[in-house]
Amino acid sequence: MNKKNGILFAVFVVSVLIAGCVQPPEEEVKEIKIGIVAPLTGGASTTGTDMWQSALLAAEEINARGGVDVGGVDMQITLVKGDTETSREGGVKAVTKLITEDKVDLLIGGFSSGITYADQVVASEHKVPFIITGASSPIITRRTDIDTSYFFHHCPTTDDYPEATLLFVNDVVKPRIYERFNFSADRPLRLAVLYQDSKYGEGVFDGIKKAIEKHSLNIDIVSAEKFKMSETDFRTALTVIKDSKPDVVYPAAFLNEQTLIVAQGRKDVGLDTIYLSVECNDDPDYYTGVGRWGEYSIQESRFSPYAIPSGPIHDVVAKFKADFENRWGTSPSMMGASTYEGVYVAAEAIKNAGTLDKEEVRASLAALEMPQVIEVMQNGVITFSKDYRESKFELYMEQLIWDETAGETRPKIVWPDNIKETDFVLPDWYEPGSP
Amino acid sequence: MDLSVLIQILVWGLYAGCIYILLAIGLNLIFGVMKVVNFAHGELLMLGAYAAFWIYTLLGINPYLIIALAMVILGIIGVFIERLCFRPIMGTGKLNEIFLSLGLIYLFQNLAALLWTTDSRSIHSPYSDVSVSIGSIQLPMDYIIIIAFTVVFLIAFQLFMKRTTLGRAMRATSQNREAAVLMGIHVERMDMLSFAMGSALAAAAGSLWVISGQIANPYMGSIPAIKAFAVIIIGGLGSIPGAIVAGLTLGIAENIVPLFMQSFVGLFGVSMSFTAWKDTIAFFILIIVLVIRPTGIFGEKGE
Amino acid sequence: MKLDRINVTINMKTGIGIISLILAFLIPLIFGINQYLLTVLIITLVFIIYSSAWNLLALSGQASLGHAAFFGIGGYVSAIIASSLGLPPIAAILVGGLFAAFIGVLIGLTCIRMREWFLAMVTFGFAIIAHTITTELSWLTGGWDGLPAKRLIPITITNYIMYEYYIMLLIAVAVIVIIYLITKSRMGLALEAIRENELEAKVMGIGVTKYKLMAFAISAFFTGIAGALEVHHFGYITPEIYGMDISFWPIIYSISGGLFTIGGPILGTIVITFIWEVLRTFGLMYERLILIGVILVLIVIFLPKGLVSIPEKIKSR
Repeated sequence: MNKKNGILFAVFVVSVLIAGCVQPPEEEVKEIKIGIVAPLTGGASTTGTDMWQSALLAAEEINARGGVDVGGVDMQITLVKGDTETSREGGVKAVTKLITEDKVDLLIGGFSSGITYADQVVASEHKVPFIITGASSPIITRRTDIDTSYFFHHCPTTDDYPEATLLFVNDVVKPRIYERFNFSADRPLRLAVLYQDSKYGEGVFDGIKKAIEKHSLNIDIVSAEKFKMSETDFRTALTVIKDSKPDVVYPAAFLNEQTLIVAQGRKDVGLDTIYLSVECNDDPDYYTGVGRWGEYSIQESRFSPYAIPSGPIHDVVAKFKADFENRWGTSPSMMGASTYEGVYVAAEAIKNAGTLDKEEVRASLAALEMPQVIEVMQNGVITFSKDYRESKFELYMEQLIWDETAGETRPKIVWPDNIKETDFVLPDWYEPGSP
Repeated sequence: MDLSVLIQILVWGLYAGCIYILLAIGLNLIFGVMKVVNFAHGELLMLGAYAAFWIYTLLGINPYLIIALAMVILGIIGVFIERLCFRPIMGTGKLNEIFLSLGLIYLFQNLAALLWTTDSRSIHSPYSDVSVSIGSIQLPMDYIIIIAFTVVFLIAFQLFMKRTTLGRAMRATSQNREAAVLMGIHVERMDMLSFAMGSALAAAAGSLWVISGQIANPYMGSIPAIKAFAVIIIGGLGSIPGAIVAGLTLGIAENIVPLFMQSFVGLFGVSMSFTAWKDTIAFFILIIVLVIRPTGIFGEKGE
Repeated sequence: MKLDRINVTINMKTGIGIISLILAFLIPLIFGINQYLLTVLIITLVFIIYSSAWNLLALSGQASLGHAAFFGIGGYVSAIIASSLGLPPIAAILVGGLFAAFIGVLIGLTCIRMREWFLAMVTFGFAIIAHTITTELSWLTGGWDGLPAKRLIPITITNYIMYEYYIMLLIAVAVIVIIYLITKSRMGLALEAIRENELEAKVMGIGVTKYKLMAFAISAFFTGIAGALEVHHFGYITPEIYGMDISFWPIIYSISGGLFTIGGPILGTIVITFIWEVLRTFGLMYERLILIGVILVLIVIFLPKGLVSIPEKIKSR
């Protein structure tokens, strides 16, 4: 290779690199472009793929009905993939590309708070409305270092899960325990927490403390143990928890961890208690994995693979599930459900705004009031709160009941009363904490 | 804290230690014969666990009978890795081994994710309902079996190395490669054999791992492998008794030390959980040992 | 004759370097202020600095598997200093780098007598320890929520992204020149001698401990700077910065480009980033990572001097 070739090679490398990054400008078409920010590769790719598939289903449904009426013009929705690769670098690249190259009108998605924090900086700088449907930290819309007025949080936060869960425990589980074991009414309920050492786990633990204070619940946290993310051996932590004699155990864990916590707790450690569970575990894999050990444990949820809340949205949910399975051959997940709704929320807001102008769309989202779609919302409407732009979900509680035909447990909604399918059962083998 | 709680936790530590020991012995064997360190050893554990899972799912036989089959499969894979990857770079420097292993980690983890998805897999042991209670201490049947398995493996391994011609040849190779060649030992065959045996032991660890009610997924191997490295470093490279002592110590320490730390800060009125510090503690122990004795506790001068 | 040959190769490499540099400076002028392109290039530049710094340590025979510790420490210290003392980010970055260097010396001291894989394990462990300590010190680091960081150039300035790009480019060039000078100095020769045979180097009277520590300090310093630059570009820092992938990328880049060379980490970062971004457009997921693994294995076996050695290989045919 001589000098000339070397230089040519250098020119080649650089120009190819540039060619890879720059795409020819596209023609102006009358369409609504929405960027879906989701981890399509990397550690969280399963969830990310669900989010993308659900969003696509919603867009196809809307387009099949003639699209969205934007100031008298019917526009079709086009979705653009933004793969965060489950990393900060990937997230920033993806969001920058969506905004500056694909020129999307709006962003939907965002999974994992740690990654979303960095993505938000880019979105806020370009003032692009972002409907966040997968990151559970309340900080998302409360941070002060950037202008958060373009962010709309459409999924429950780590403050919301424990609030609903503990209210249920206080209203339903506690009386049953106290009745059976003749505890005096002023004895505080003994709660043990086993949480993941992460934003999510810590957020749930904080949420537990906030909920106890907010509703002045008579609940004592008798032990709080942390574990490393994707830990597989919980026996030591569970042994310590058993030693603290809890009435109820609240793990803040992901699916793999929750499965092992419940199985190892019941099987190896002999901690025969009521296990609570955060909504992200309401997934077919959880019921397969936990097997019989999960019987009678409690699952908080807003969208379940097996249970459908009775009441007004029952038929819509059933249809969504069937459509999703027809289209993709798998069942939809919770993050998918809120992302699906995110597309409907965006369509409604754009229709109300009558324009694609980002500032108008933002104002329209802030003022939005639309009927619930496939998840139960408080008062039956999707609306973003005035202070922190969070939509409020009606979370429900399920109990896992053995299903002989499935050979697994199946969730049954037991709370709140207006949508419940059956009543909570305190199992015979249940052992309370110290009197 | 109750004494019974402490003993119970010792048992959990003992179990973790068994897995580390099986991995560490394999690593030690490969290192002894080839003077090569395979950082991708955890991926062999992962493949072993998947092998056990698939055989179990397809054949549905008692999972403990599967272990031998999984070991054979991984032994064959081990031979391929040795011949295709490690033999070409033998003698080109220690850094190359580290970098090659890194490549293998990426390759195996993601190949597994591509082929079998990242969903976690588990095997339901037929004995998962059985447990033996001694006083207030709970001993699940599977644990007793696993500890017994490990002991049997160790004895069989020792007998093989001391009593058979093949084992003696391997020991000769690890003591002095040049002299072994002069004695007519086919050292390259010994390399292959050591890699196969090391991989088989990793497969045993992986199978026991899923059978005991933990899960298999493509990323399961990294942390146990790192612990196994810590074990052979602490125990001293090439030392079998060192690996056993260090493996048990590490398994127990990472379970007990967080509790001591918790009680300790409790004295100052601080309530803090250290159970998430497991890996951090393992590395602290490793660093302290190495600072005091750079060759490990039982290690001699090394190579 | 032989000398001439060497001169020509050096000239050729310098020529490529200068031309690439000119092209790099022209990019914003040719393509306009394309934010996506510049963002990708900025991240690439950060990793060029990072990989070059990692490679410098490898030059002394010490392969770190936990450089994310320094990357993260540099980022956190710089972000905290910039916010609490009101220092401009460009100055805070230096503090971040210096602090990372200080930690680097401490780690270096514990590692100095260790063999390669012991060192690999210990550095790997340090990244995990740094992660744990950072999340526990939440009053200082924001814990899992992380911290906002000042932007390198305030976004209120028009075309700030272009200025950021040029600053990154200048720093990258400066770092590479400094590392180049180091490798050509007494220290560079000493490091190479240590890598080849530590015992012999000692016998030859080379201050092995001193040079190994210096390599650790300088490498950690530049790594800290790279981390701080990334954080001030993103405007936010979270403990994800200590991730294993962050420790491994510079290794992948350096090996594919060419270990122990100046051009290696640069070329490796560019080529692998390019392949990565192209494969993204094909929607490949795990295949990308499998390919990285295959590339690593093949390069270690068949092209141990990396992509930069291809011209020499062709020539020697």
